[in-house]
Amino acid sequence: MNEDSLPEPVFSAVLDELIPARDSSLPGAGALGLGATVESRLGAAVALVASGLAALDALANTRKARDFVDLPREVRVELLREVAASHLGFVENLIVHLYSAYYQHPRVIEAIGLENRPPYPDGYELESGDLGLLDLVRERARLYRDA
Amino acid sequence: MSRRVSDELADVLIIGAGASGAAMAWSLAETRMRIVCLEQGGWMNPAEYPTTRSGWELERFEGAYTLSPNARGRREDYPVNDDDSPIKVSNFNAVGGGTILYAAHFPRLHPSDFRVKTLDGVADDWPIDYATLEPFYDLNARMMGVAGLAGDPAYPPKEPPLPPVPLGKLGETLGRGFNRLGWHWWPSDSAIATRDYEGRAACINLGPCITGCAQGAKGSTDVTYWPVARREGVELRTHCRVREITVNEEGLASGARYVDGNGHEHHQRAEIVILACNGVGTPRLLLNSRSGRFPDGLANSSGLVGRNLMFHPYAMVTGLFDEPLEGYKGPTGCSIISQEFYETDPARGFVRGYSAEMLRGMGPVSTALWGMSSNCLPWGAEHHAAYDELWDRTAGMVAICEDLPEPHNRVTLDPDLVDADGIPAPKIQYQLSENSLRMLDHAVARGSEVLKTAGARETWSEAPLRPAGWHLMGTARMGSDPRSSVVDPVGRAHDVKNLFIADGSVFVTSGGVNPTHTLQAIALYIADHIKKNLENLFD
Repeated sequence: MNEDSLPEPVFSAVLDELIPARDSSLPGAGALGLGATVESRLGAAVALVASGLAALDALANTRKARDFVDLPREVRVELLREVAASHLGFVENLIVHLYSAYYQHPRVIEAIGLENRPPYPDGYELESGDLGLLDLVRERARLYRDA
Repeated sequence: MSRRVSDELADVLIIGAGASGAAMAWSLAETRMRIVCLEQGGWMNPAEYPTTRSGWELERFEGAYTLSPNARGRREDYPVNDDDSPIKVSNFNAVGGGTILYAAHFPRLHPSDFRVKTLDGVADDWPIDYATLEPFYDLNARMMGVAGLAGDPAYPPKEPPLPPVPLGKLGETLGRGFNRLGWHWWPSDSAIATRDYEGRAACINLGPCITGCAQGAKGSTDVTYWPVARREGVELRTHCRVREITVNEEGLASGARYVDGNGHEHHQRAEIVILACNGVGTPRLLLNSRSGRFPDGLANSSGLVGRNLMFHPYAMVTGLFDEPLEGYKGPTGCSIISQEFYETDPARGFVRGYSAEMLRGMGPVSTALWGMSSNCLPWGAEHHAAYDELWDRTAGMVAICEDLPEPHNRVTLDPDLVDADGIPAPKIQYQLSENSLRMLDHAVARGSEVLKTAGARETWSEAPLRPAGWHLMGTARMGSDPRSSVVDPVGRAHDVKNLFIADGSVFVTSGGVNPTHTLQAIALYIADHIKKNLENLFD
């Protein structure tokens, strides 16, 4: 991590609250290690996110006398919602890139029931479907106009 | 910059290697004339298309495979100033042109589309009719490999050469919805090889056709027309961007000045020049071809070059179902089509009509991003439950609304914006008409109705769809009167008798269907005229 990186562990803790553990087999987005990917995609919005994270830690210390990461989950969420409301764009920017990164992760893809592979070269089987459903349409008079 | 002049005279110079340029080149090849095609893009490598690698889904939204030339920013692309348009231009520059990223929906225009003035009292009739193009539609269907099903009551009889794209569970679900309402629907005509066809491997239902087909099953012209045309002797030069069409002292087109991939400038002489650069690229080139004889741009004595730009305003409705639909499998945009609302019905409050094309579902990332933008995928403790309700449970409809020609909707040259070679870029000025707005409202309501009837518990809509400017038409319209059209009924410029235009620019009206099949049929029809009249083409 270089000096300009978003601060840890609060950054990963926030990602874990945005997308929490799905179950015991799939941890939250922060624990999945998506922080670096998300940060690399934030572009100019990284300053906005850094400001939000700083505000979050400051609020935790002011109000609860503890760092954000040391707070119980329900309190973290409460503070996160408060900072999200006061720092417009903070959470919005994060979740765009977090959702993109999370739903490409191999463990997440498998968790939603897909094989972890690109579509090519194996492709997919697709049922031809019941073309008999078109019988009703075939019975109709033609729709086009002579011209 | 060095300037080089080719001593070799081409019989035919085609500018643009996309949908219509490829068809034109193939058709003319049998004449054994010397045919040269200049294309500003290069050859695509299907092995590099996004569906071959992890992270494939996001590449649809960013990088080299996005629809917007402004977002792609490849050297092969030219920028488009579309700030003054609610619909943004989508295109692609490569061998294959827009067919590289299109969905391969391949419907024809209808007979009534050529007679809108006579039948509905709006716009203008075409100088040609459906019967004129019918044999060229059939020929193009064989060359592009069209999958479909005969017997559609929305069209005069036609026989697609390949069996239809599978309906899948999603198509069946939607088909039952249409049946409950008694509305027309039919498997879409699609330029997709549903079995091995002419050297192309059969479709394996990769899903996102719109980032290029790694399987080569989609009928993009780099894998259909071009291999044959090149074997027949057509010379295709890539990474060659045309700066202007040159003219001689007699006012004939004498060739084209172009810049190659190394920045060297050339002049290619030619007896016949054919433009196939699409409805934005063609007027851009004509307007960039000013001379003492043609001070307002080439072939522009009517003042209509660039005017009457037509997109197809799109409405999109997405429905959320209770059951998985397997919507991530299969060609994204080629499920089924409804033309229940295609022909004019005055009771609807607008003239003309639209096609409703049903879309398959989304991949994992698209589902998440759509859920976020639709405010139905929260972060936090409810996230996973909400995602599970969305994943593989969406189906969509897009309405392709007929856009009537209006002179104030136009392509001009931007006074400041230029491409990588310093050539002035196009500027779009476009407004939606009241007729289009009413049609979009109708389409959203009917789309919601059919999706809910098919089982959707909730629907979301967007109209007009902003990035949907992929159909570019009308900017060098066809007609018999030089005062009200740019090209004659066989695609020849009224003002320049050895200059032809063979792309969507010549459309008189837009119809309410994807235009690729029609603009290719027009190219084949124009080529047929040239071939049959070579002896006296310029008399």
